[in-house]
Amino acid sequence: MSNLETILSRDSYILAVEIRLFWLVALIYGVCLILYLIHLATKKTGPGRMGTNMLWLGVITHAGLILLRTFEGQRAPFQTLYESLSWFAWSTSIAYLYVERRWEDIYLPGILVTALSMGACLYALLTRSPAVEPLSPPLQSYWFEWHVALAFLSYAVFVVSCSIEIVYLTIKPSVKKGLRPEYGLNTNNLETFHRQSFRLALFGFPLLTFGIFSGAAWANEAWGRYWGWDPKETWSLITWTVFAIYLHSMSIPRWKGIPASTFNILGFICMLMTFIGVNWLARLLGIPSLHLYAM
Amino acid sequence: MIILTKIKSINWQGIRENKLYKRFASLKTSCIFLGILIGFYIIGAIFPQDAVLDDYIKSGGGFTSFVIFFDLLNVFNTPGFLIAASLLSINLTICAFEIFLILRSQSKTVSEGLQFTPQFTFPLDINTQLEDAGEIVKEIFKKEMGFTEKTFTCQEINIMEKGWSYRWLTWGYHLAILFCLFGFFMTYIFAFEDEITLYPGEAATIKPAAINRWNKSWGNKPQELDFKLILDEFITEYNQFPKLDYPADKLSRLAIAMGWKDPKYLLKEESYAPKDWKSRLKIIKGNQVVLEKTIEVNDPLSYQGITFYQAAYKQILKVQIDDNPISFETETDHELIIPGIDGMLKFGAIRTGTLFKKDGGTEKIKTFTEAALIRKDKSGKTETEKLGKLEHDGSLYIDDKRISIREFKEASVLSYRYDPGVPILWWSGVTLLIAMALRVFGAWYRIIYRLEEKDGMPHLLLKIKTRGIMADEERLIKRLKHSLEKWAEPIDLDEPV
Ligand code: HEM
Repeated sequence: MSNLETILSRDSYILAVEIRLFWLVALIYGVCLILYLIHLATKKTGPGRMGTNMLWLGVITHAGLILLRTFEGQRAPFQTLYESLSWFAWSTSIAYLYVERRWEDIYLPGILVTALSMGACLYALLTRSPAVEPLSPPLQSYWFEWHVALAFLSYAVFVVSCSIEIVYLTIKPSVKKGLRPEYGLNTNNLETFHRQSFRLALFGFPLLTFGIFSGAAWANEAWGRYWGWDPKETWSLITWTVFAIYLHSMSIPRWKGIPASTFNILGFICMLMTFIGVNWLARLLGIPSLHLYAM
Repeated sequence: MIILTKIKSINWQGIRENKLYKRFASLKTSCIFLGILIGFYIIGAIFPQDAVLDDYIKSGGGFTSFVIFFDLLNVFNTPGFLIAASLLSINLTICAFEIFLILRSQSKTVSEGLQFTPQFTFPLDINTQLEDAGEIVKEIFKKEMGFTEKTFTCQEINIMEKGWSYRWLTWGYHLAILFCLFGFFMTYIFAFEDEITLYPGEAATIKPAAINRWNKSWGNKPQELDFKLILDEFITEYNQFPKLDYPADKLSRLAIAMGWKDPKYLLKEESYAPKDWKSRLKIIKGNQVVLEKTIEVNDPLSYQGITFYQAAYKQILKVQIDDNPISFETETDHELIIPGIDGMLKFGAIRTGTLFKKDGGTEKIKTFTEAALIRKDKSGKTETEKLGKLEHDGSLYIDDKRISIREFKEASVLSYRYDPGVPILWWSGVTLLIAMALRVFGAWYRIIYRLEEKDGMPHLLLKIKTRGIMADEERLIKRLKHSLEKWAEPIDLDEPV
């Protein structure tokens, strides 16, 4: 076998291992989701705890997968949508596990977290090419690497923030009415639990700000224009602005309750639009996309 | 001097009490303006910006009368958007000013009407008078825990802080946002950009056809720049690019996951992925070379406020038919009609320069292009017939005509831009990020405490306020308890001091 053939068959082998590992990770997230759903249906803590333990396993395996991809591509592992979806799924799960470690028997936010992590993995596996390809010249930039890494990290944090917000809003009436614990939440810990949502959004905001800043710095170096009102850029600005309103509304006494929570959830929806629904609204209204870099 | 006196004579207090001013100094107003801007952003994300109206209509775009009336293809230049952005800037300026006044007065004295409701009470087992205990506690907070004392008018209550003041940081990054808005404004008014195509060895003068908004509004014409640009060399580099044999349909992908098939990288002979394109440039002023640089994508050249970017390249080839001394000149990916040939000739990208091979080696590419013949059938459908690879002086035959390539030429396409907003944005962006990161990720503590005698023993009554992700109230309490315990330990007289 020639040298080149050896390289190609080695790369093909590593890719085959990587793809199967990625499917395994998606499967683990799926099992976690089922366990959390059983917890929701039965109100028993056992399945919830098992879900979290399983999620640790998923996150550790996924970390191995990301390292393998880094070794395979000899570059930062978040430069194509296939890679950044994987990065997003991993960071969402690890961000969740990090805040979850201080809770006692609260598992409901795990439902949205694992659903999205699994969804992101499946979307990457089923619709994107897993090939490790040479990057086109404009993508060969440190700014671009930071841009993707931090923007997606902020999205991950916003997912966890939103899942806490949704659980809080749905559980609050019954906890307040019945004064009895529901899914590990009671009158004593409900507000502290909810506070995590704000803290996470606050944590994600500078990351998203840096994501946008580095994106602009990259565009400025690559194309000589830091901002082009391309739909993806615009949606990230919308997400940023909605979260700015959310953070502000937490300082306005009359907006602190439902209005603020609504802004947090809206921010999450805008974030989803940024990376999968950029042209969805336009398509829904039958408006053609004539943008240069629209994906 | 006159202006200063005039400014001083303005009734600032009156203005600050004005209803409209107060409305502009409110956080709610900022949220409303931000909400209005979101409305514009959503329109801008839905309707293709900068698209030509005719193209929009031809591609089936609806809501035409709305699009025309509200200028929806250019929404970020409409008066509505510009007014909303300006109102937010005014709002932010007023807020920054007001917050500054509050912070300045706060840094001198802390409000007198402070309500002190302690969160924690610690008995001080120190065996001293209340006054001495006060000194010891102060010492612990200052020396051992790194707090600094704040001036406070009330004797019994002490206030100390640790970490970067989160209020000043918040103020700082809001001010940085204001500077960013100023940077955007500078770009909007003064930036212009254009493109220039350079052929190797030619000195080109630069005369932008585009003009910035400022000059446009004054009716000024674009000026030729006072320097010339020479392209010494244009370099292209390619990566050998293996294609992945991998199915697009979901079921087959699942089959691969189950191990029923394997993905395979295959190397077709002509698989080239652009690695880089570079231009060796010289800037000439008068008769002197004032600057030399090899620019590439992501690494531009700046001179006198103008930045030149490697945008693209243009490839030209000279095609000879039989032995005709006059050759045709055409660009790659353009259709060429040649008399006597049924159909149109089209040449693909010229591959030249260096190839970086998968096995780590490099190779000089023997310049070539790929030719194709495009024919239209009776129903108007186009058919493309691949004719194969053509190297320099190589030939191929179509309808008994010999087609030969006599010359390959590459030109570098540079875009250039003047934008005084960029440095402002750069520095205010960096400040914004640093201040925001310190505020959000850092740790800031304020403690308010009082000592009280209870049951014959001094007690520390404490209230803690924290800001920043790293601030940890529990850790602070633990450290405090530890220090208090240390002070409570009897001193060992045998131990040398
Ligand atoms: C583009 C515009 C703006 C952005 C992105 C923005 C961003 C933020 C963020 C992220 C926070 C919360 C984090 C923190 O507490 O430090 C915040 C807080 C705040 N903002 Fe803004 N802001 C903007 C405009 C304004 C304006 C126009 C005002 C003027 C009223 C304002 C006044 C405040 C105040 C008073 C706080 C509370 C600070 C505190 O917690 O002590 N902001 N802003």
